[in-house]
Amino acid sequence: MTASGSGIGRSVPRVDAREKVTGQARFAGDLKLPGMLHGKVLRSIYPHARILGVDVSKAEALPGVVAVLTGADLLDIDPYYGHSIKDRPLIAIDRVRFVGEPVAAVAAEDEATAEAALNLIEVEYEVLPAATTMQAALAEDAPLLHEVEKLRPGLFHGLGELRPQGNICYQHTIARGEVAEAFERADIVVEGEYTFPAVYQYAMEPHTAVAQWEGDQVTVWASCQHPYLVRAELADLFGLPVTDVRVIVPYVGGGFGSKSYTKMEPITVALARKARRPVRIANRVDEAMVTTRRHNMVCRMRTAASADGTLLARQVSLWLDTGAYADNGPRVVATAADAAPGPYRWESFHVDAYGVYTNRPPSGSYRAFGATHLQWIGESQVDEVARRAGIDRVEIRLCNLLRPGEEVRPGGKPLDADLVGDVRKIAEALDWDSPKPPGTGRGLGVGLLAAGARPVSTAIVRLQADGTALLLVSTTEMGQGARTVLSQLVSEELALPVERIKVPGGDTNVTPYDRSTGASRSTTLAGKAVQRAARQVRDELLAIAGEHWGVAPHALELRQGAVWYGGKSLTFPDLIHERFGFSGGEIIGHGTVRPEAGKGSYAAGPVFWEVCIGGAEVRVDPGTGRIHILKLVSVADVGHAVNPELVEAQEMGASMQGLGNALFEEMVFDEGQILNSTLLDYHVPTIEDLPDAFISRLVENEDGPGAYGIKGVGEGALAGVPAAVVNALADLGIKVNELPLTPERIWRALHASDVPQRQEPIFKENP
Amino acid sequence: MLGIFQIHEPDSIEEASSLLKEYGYEAAVYAGGTELLLVMKEKLAHYSHLVNIKTIPGLDEISFDPEARTLRIGALTTHRQLEHSSLIAEHAPLLAEMESTVGNVRVRAMGTIGGNLCFAEPHSDPATLLLAWDAVLEVGSDEARRRIPIADFLLGMFETALQPGEILIDVHLQLLPANAAGAYRKFSTHERPTATVAALLQLEQGVIADARLAVGSVGPAAFRAKEAEEMLRGQQPQEELIASAAESASRAADPVDDLHGSAEYKRHLVRVLAAEALDLAARRAQAEVDYD
Repeated sequence: MTASGSGIGRSVPRVDAREKVTGQARFAGDLKLPGMLHGKVLRSIYPHARILGVDVSKAEALPGVVAVLTGADLLDIDPYYGHSIKDRPLIAIDRVRFVGEPVAAVAAEDEATAEAALNLIEVEYEVLPAATTMQAALAEDAPLLHEVEKLRPGLFHGLGELRPQGNICYQHTIARGEVAEAFERADIVVEGEYTFPAVYQYAMEPHTAVAQWEGDQVTVWASCQHPYLVRAELADLFGLPVTDVRVIVPYVGGGFGSKSYTKMEPITVALARKARRPVRIANRVDEAMVTTRRHNMVCRMRTAASADGTLLARQVSLWLDTGAYADNGPRVVATAADAAPGPYRWESFHVDAYGVYTNRPPSGSYRAFGATHLQWIGESQVDEVARRAGIDRVEIRLCNLLRPGEEVRPGGKPLDADLVGDVRKIAEALDWDSPKPPGTGRGLGVGLLAAGARPVSTAIVRLQADGTALLLVSTTEMGQGARTVLSQLVSEELALPVERIKVPGGDTNVTPYDRSTGASRSTTLAGKAVQRAARQVRDELLAIAGEHWGVAPHALELRQGAVWYGGKSLTFPDLIHERFGFSGGEIIGHGTVRPEAGKGSYAAGPVFWEVCIGGAEVRVDPGTGRIHILKLVSVADVGHAVNPELVEAQEMGASMQGLGNALFEEMVFDEGQILNSTLLDYHVPTIEDLPDAFISRLVENEDGPGAYGIKGVGEGALAGVPAAVVNALADLGIKVNELPLTPERIWRALHASDVPQRQEPIFKENP
Repeated sequence: MLGIFQIHEPDSIEEASSLLKEYGYEAAVYAGGTELLLVMKEKLAHYSHLVNIKTIPGLDEISFDPEARTLRIGALTTHRQLEHSSLIAEHAPLLAEMESTVGNVRVRAMGTIGGNLCFAEPHSDPATLLLAWDAVLEVGSDEARRRIPIADFLLGMFETALQPGEILIDVHLQLLPANAAGAYRKFSTHERPTATVAALLQLEQGVIADARLAVGSVGPAAFRAKEAEEMLRGQQPQEELIASAAESASRAADPVDDLHGSAEYKRHLVRVLAAEALDLAARRAQAEVDYD
């Protein structure tokens, strides 16, 4: 049989476009439950302090206040959570570890009353010595953030035994061969120390949660990326079976990692428990910034090569500031280590990556973590090798890049992408071989990101008696277009128009298990489960039709919501009627994706290597040091594009976010306090920051593990941008080792001889 | 969250003035709200009483007196109005040019020229240009009215010469003579500028008859670079002279290190922007280039 699927490969309009542009789309914060209270959080003003007492009596006495939550209300539960390391109380118990840590929460009839009540809470602190930078946290006599012998593993840690060494909560090493020997032999050695700033994901919708208890069961409407992981952590915290916790995720107003794993849900649930009424907590932007952020990093890297530009070895040490609590820090550390060697055929490499606790807000996931941290560093060293060897910067990559099937890191999945082809495409889009206009620099960067997280996804397709399909899947629609793309997969398999497929939001009581929405995994993994579910439905339709006409299924064809045998057809409603002998009933298919040990492409991690590649052409204003982006280029190596326009939109969005990371975003701290927590002082890319030209090229080699050879997209372009810009600057003779590339930093680099430069290395000794 | 406040909607300057006197430090004038509501939301200040002067008729008008060759700009005129007004385009295109760079389109749609000047945010764009322009501000209360040169109005960071109960009514701008022109240059990496420079030059037979140079954003308030102005007067606008004047303005600046950059960098920016502004003003005064 054949399915004349017209669902994939077409840029169908987003299924949520009309709802969103007309303001009909509902987000967690729009929910109004009968009797719902408004919660506000009192946050620590010290980076590190012991709590001697919290007096809430005046706040409780304020008319309109229903409940005030403090650590003392959590004596009946184990109030610590953290999916990798269980190190974080849902509200401070006896100690605060960062400025902004929740100390108390008020539930009141309205927001203004709740906020007024916060001012009436009296907290007595004993200020403790703080380690508000990694340097301080790694110092010999540093105050310890978590004074335990063993860290408690979280529900999804997968990290082995965790013994903190001082403030280092996690260490990850990857190595191959002996680097020392290669460095001795090398003709060219490039080395440097580099820093990456703390940045904020800046989703338009800050974290929001609404919690409602009914008896011993709780329902939470949350702006979260991973409803099933949040459910598990809430159940664990409050001592409930997972089925007594229901997490519902309406549309989410952007995630970028800021809403991955558990964030504001536990405190909202605890406050609702105490108030005995539904409670809504919506973070403000400044609160969201202390809820999660991207790790700032210090990295030392050196690269060895022979005189002809053959890359030999790389050695890397990197320290990532995970803040007061680990959050997703260990995974970020491991992914950064994976990204550090870069996609080259090394004889040997050695990477030591550390996650460091500091008295700063916790750091977690942020689109293309690890790769964004490392790629600009590694790629700038490859460019430097090319310059010293006197060979072209594209050429050095073509010679040294890994080929498909080669090992990327020991024990991991071999390379599943044509990087040589991708680099050629970037070079072509940059007119690499054409003469550069005076004053312009060109650069490119290529790397790999371990993508897909854990390959566990399920999906259900319910074909209804009226011939429409309901797709139940727990993928979060957070702007990336998941509902559209997954509808297209069903459309392809069932030959059903996209308009006749409905995808409601995630609801752990209704939509089946999906591990998470992130790591570029949904189209690949949830998509594979969706395809399998749709195929079950299709097979059943064909079986019914085959029985009806007395022919084998392969003689039949699916087209326009019907099964055809020659010139005869039976519509889907006809077939359901045939099956049930009645105008009701439905056909249900389910699909599963799981790691298939020892076989198939999910056996060895990662699920796939996401290609992180970008190119840039820039100019620099010598007066102010401002970088002008003339051209930004991306290559989306997606295996198979389900919706080409959405792919391009992902590339553009990721590239713009990459420009923000490269050019101006930085959370500035003073003694652990953020100084720029509003849009006035924290500049995120706006329409005025668009490059003069943006070019995105699509590569469809069908080499991904998803349905039709799909592999994910959405992160790689981000990691490629800082690398491309840094290399374009170096092409102009401007060498940098610190992001963001603010005009002032560029001006200093331009006038290196007459402007005082920072001389002191950040770490004098290996910490 | 803005917190809880009472809003008052007076019909006249006198009524607004007496409300301000009645509530004293508890009250603030509410014009466009783009600065005021922000500080209230950020809890940097709270006022229990907001006096909304948008209910007073006539405060958002622009008029031109052809005899005196002055523009009168009501305090509630929005940046957007100034950006697009045909009167301004005809008589003071430099003002429109500057206004088109204020904040972003949302701020320009709501924010008013009067609110901007009275708030006295150190990074104000209009303050820098109007200081170079020697604008005169008319203020009034329930008792009297008076006119203050802008140089005497802007006293420092968030500080003006307004007395308790006084409200800015309008801005008077003397049109530039035919042989004069100006330029406004700014540099921003954030919503608010890092440095702003306004230059006005009057040329007679190729010689600078009058020069006014104002620098803003880098210090607590915009200032006039008097020494640079002196250097320019009586000279031909040559590149070297402009470079020396720009250097002088840069030395006169008293910048601080902050999120916008180091004092050293800001001093450098003033030099770059002053040179650009003076050069463009000179070329415009010689009718070599027009306003954008």
